[in-house]
Amino acid sequence: MMTRVLRYAERWYSIPLLLVLWQIGAATGVAESRLLPSLTRVWVVLMQDTVNNVLPYHTAITLGRAGIGFALATLAGAPFAAAMARSTLVRNLFEPIFFFGYPVPKIALFPVFTYIFGIGSPSKIAFAFLECLYPIVVTAYLGFRAIPNSLIWTAENAGANHATIIWRVIFPAAMPGIFTGLRVALPISIIVIVLTEMIGDSKGLGYYIAVSGTRFAYANVYAAILVIGLCGFVLDRALLYVRGRCIRWERSAPELTL
Amino acid sequence: MKVPASVQHWIIPVTTSLAWEALGDAGMIPRYLPPPSQILTALYEVTADGELLQAVAISVYRVAIGFALGTGAGMLIGLAAGLIPPVRHFFDPLVSFLYAVPKIAFLPIFLLLFGLEHESKIAIIAFSSFFPVFIASRHAALSVGSHLVWTARNMGARQATIFFRVFIPAAAPQLFSGARIGLANSFVILFAAELIGSRGGVGVLISAGEDAARFDLMFAGIVTFAVLGFAADRILMAVRRHVLRGQLIGTAEQMIG
Repeated sequence: MMTRVLRYAERWYSIPLLLVLWQIGAATGVAESRLLPSLTRVWVVLMQDTVNNVLPYHTAITLGRAGIGFALATLAGAPFAAAMARSTLVRNLFEPIFFFGYPVPKIALFPVFTYIFGIGSPSKIAFAFLECLYPIVVTAYLGFRAIPNSLIWTAENAGANHATIIWRVIFPAAMPGIFTGLRVALPISIIVIVLTEMIGDSKGLGYYIAVSGTRFAYANVYAAILVIGLCGFVLDRALLYVRGRCIRWERSAPELTL
Repeated sequence: MKVPASVQHWIIPVTTSLAWEALGDAGMIPRYLPPPSQILTALYEVTADGELLQAVAISVYRVAIGFALGTGAGMLIGLAAGLIPPVRHFFDPLVSFLYAVPKIAFLPIFLLLFGLEHESKIAIIAFSSFFPVFIASRHAALSVGSHLVWTARNMGARQATIFFRVFIPAAAPQLFSGARIGLANSFVILFAAELIGSRGGVGVLISAGEDAARFDLMFAGIVTFAVLGFAADRILMAVRRHVLRGQLIGTAEQMIG
């Protein structure tokens, strides 16, 4: 029992340690109080803006946008990757767009998106869609390509028709690859939504951070960072849970190694 | 008729550009999407008067220093975390919490700390590229096969030799994957930081073109930024291929390029 507590402490001490140092720094005035508001101040702000519904409102908007962009990219990306993997024509047409476009910083196109889709939610959702589409298509494509032909031949031999092979053999076999892409894309969706909200919007957590920053209300900035971190963590866990339900034949997800 | 793959690769880019040009010249698409010929003219214009070169120099300076600092720190601390358990235990909880947070959210704090000049951009670029590099390096250090180290030790290699000739080469492929993600992050953060609060740089060129409703200039900036990001990635990959020559034989390398 004691050793377990000790091991736990050894693994996690850094967060409480830094928080204590932070609090000491803030209390003794070593760090400028504007820059490093005391933890109690951050907590009070966090509670205030939660109770008066400001943070939940902006969080819901940010997560809603990120969720829609992510979902659309998943629905479009996975079947598209399958088409690229199974058809030479589709592959030849689109491979350069995805593999050469991958390292291009697509963020530069965001101003164009605001002209095409307007400055509100649509341009942000469209941009999150684009940013999520790349990792999803590329990893899913590699997943589909890695399916051994013997699996498909076996199914054909057993008399399965085309639809059965697609839905019962190819998609399940590519599932791990698809989920790897989803796991890369999920934080990207949140990141680009917050980022584009900081560039220009009147709602969402990115807006909340930008406005608090210009008002020198740094306690609010930290509170929002805390909320985003928590959301990202919870959503990643949720995705792993879904992955576990969808891919029962694999015991656990491999560690995210990039 | 069989169209060769190399021709098929160009079908979409070429038809899109041609259609864009034709529709644009006919005035059938909105003014904020100037046709490629106008973008090229604008690119020539800003190149000729030196404006572009100056903006590129500023942006490249910021991204190069920031990326170098972030990647250097990420590799050092990441390798240390992989090798030394106390270091690992210190950084793991912090990184796993901060990893999911968009680093741009810290921009107001960095602006206050480092001011509106280069320093704040460099610092936040370094900060955002640190995390993927740290994670990859930590994992790389942990996954170097102990048999490699044992073999070298058995043959009487010194500690330093083992580290530089066995350990680092074995970890190198993953170090590069981390650096590649860090580089991509650097450009995203660079763009956002230049757009939100900055003087000079390609991001400012883009927003200035936008403000003046000179969409050809805006696109000239966008194209420049995209080319910079793409070229930086190509350079990193070329360095990678050079460093890892011999290690990449028979891998999926060709597919990801």
